[in-house]
Amino acid sequence: MRLTLNLLISHGRVARKMGLGPRSRMDLLRNILTGLVRHERIETTAARADEVRFYAEKLIDYAKKGDTDEKAMKMASFWLTEKDLVPKLFKVLAPRFETQLNDYTRMARIPTKQNLDKAKMAVLEYKGNPFPPLYPVKKENELTLINQLLKGYREEKAQQLTAKA
Amino acid sequence: MATRTVCQLLHRRFSSTRAAVRPSAAEILNQRNAVFSREQARQRSLYPRVEKIEVSMQCPGLEGTLLVMNKGMSTPLSCAKHLTEHHVTNSAVALVDGELWPLHQPLTHSCSLTLLTFKDSDPTLVNQAFWRSCAALLGQVLETAFKDDFSVELLSTPEVPVISGAFCCDVVLDPQLDSWTPSEESLRSLTRGAQQLIHQDLVWEPLEVAPSVALEVFSHSRCKQEEVEQKAAQSPKGTVTLYRCGDYVLLSGGPLVARTGLCSQYEMTALHGLGQGPWGLHRRAQGLSLPVQLQAHHTVWRKLRERAEKLVEVQRPAETVTPPSPVDSTPPPTNQ
Repeated sequence: MRLTLNLLISHGRVARKMGLGPRSRMDLLRNILTGLVRHERIETTAARADEVRFYAEKLIDYAKKGDTDEKAMKMASFWLTEKDLVPKLFKVLAPRFETQLNDYTRMARIPTKQNLDKAKMAVLEYKGNPFPPLYPVKKENELTLINQLLKGYREEKAQQLTAKA
Repeated sequence: MATRTVCQLLHRRFSSTRAAVRPSAAEILNQRNAVFSREQARQRSLYPRVEKIEVSMQCPGLEGTLLVMNKGMSTPLSCAKHLTEHHVTNSAVALVDGELWPLHQPLTHSCSLTLLTFKDSDPTLVNQAFWRSCAALLGQVLETAFKDDFSVELLSTPEVPVISGAFCCDVVLDPQLDSWTPSEESLRSLTRGAQQLIHQDLVWEPLEVAPSVALEVFSHSRCKQEEVEQKAAQSPKGTVTLYRCGDYVLLSGGPLVARTGLCSQYEMTALHGLGQGPWGLHRRAQGLSLPVQLQAHHTVWRKLRERAEKLVEVQRPAETVTPPSPVDSTPPPTNQ
């Protein structure tokens, strides 16, 4: 399977190296994912956020199978280091994304860290959280002057079309 | 051009009789302006002592703000000046205790105040006020654009909803101009007249007066006097509201927006004939305008403009004085 040139020459190594080795990488991502499930919006470096995003989506996919499913429960207890979050995953997050098939998370760049290492920073969140929106909400107002004028224009056009037909 | 010269020739024949009965336009303007200033000074002198009132703001983000203002002296605009520049430049009209209130009208009692803008969640009232003010501006341009030889009578402005696509202003031109149809150039020059007024950023100063004063203001125009009487009979307080824009005094059916500078794109699009009425040949001037805060791309503007050229039908109340418009409305689309 070849999607991009980078993927072709990466020889199947699609994940970033992080921490002190594969084991350390898993622990690091588990801790971040546990934080994400607890707070629903976290701030971390862009690379870690991007890496954890895949597992965060996958975890929801498993959680949607229900807490009676053996594999789902195994996954939940592996990825959530704090066990009080397991019920939250099955009772809160899984029902929230019942109608959705993918795209459970949202990631946004924020200014780079200035004090320590100038790392690129990002925000990762589960959609549908109770916090204020990351991006400004686009206001659509049907009642403003220009929208009313355009509405009149469209109605007239539609009338002309039906009169012709 | 030919009609113009014929008109002038005709006019010269009758001018000796006409000039005697009708003063020049400048004189009428001055007289109206003088009466307006006198009445304004009288109303201001009603509050010789500075008394304080409390105004509580109701705008989003300003709940609980309490302003201490001067009774009969402070206007909603002076309240806005205590807030931010955004409020000063963007508010069009105010809502005082749930009642629409012009921005330049002094407050007379402690009240709750809401400043309305074009971008509110429900700007219907502001849109109507804006449409009304654009029609008033059109009337002002029409009345001052012609030379002294031609009389212009403004009829009562019909209230048109915004969705109909154009604001209108009913007018009766001089009988000599009955055969005149405005060319594209003359419409453009009228538009330019309006744009000059917009550029000057004049305020619409409101003044609530008793009908007797309004009758004195419009003592040269029988038609306006009838309108004053009609409006005074309809209003619950028995008063009418006059507005002054620059040195031009006009009568309005409802509150106007704060100043002419709020219009940005403005164009007079058409002048349709409506047939003979009691005052002569009725004509309907139409235009299109958008406020500074909501400007349109030129492609959108062109579409809206094309629509604004079509005659706007107005459903008049039953006791109408003008001839029924549907009969006369068939020809105009052809002569655009």
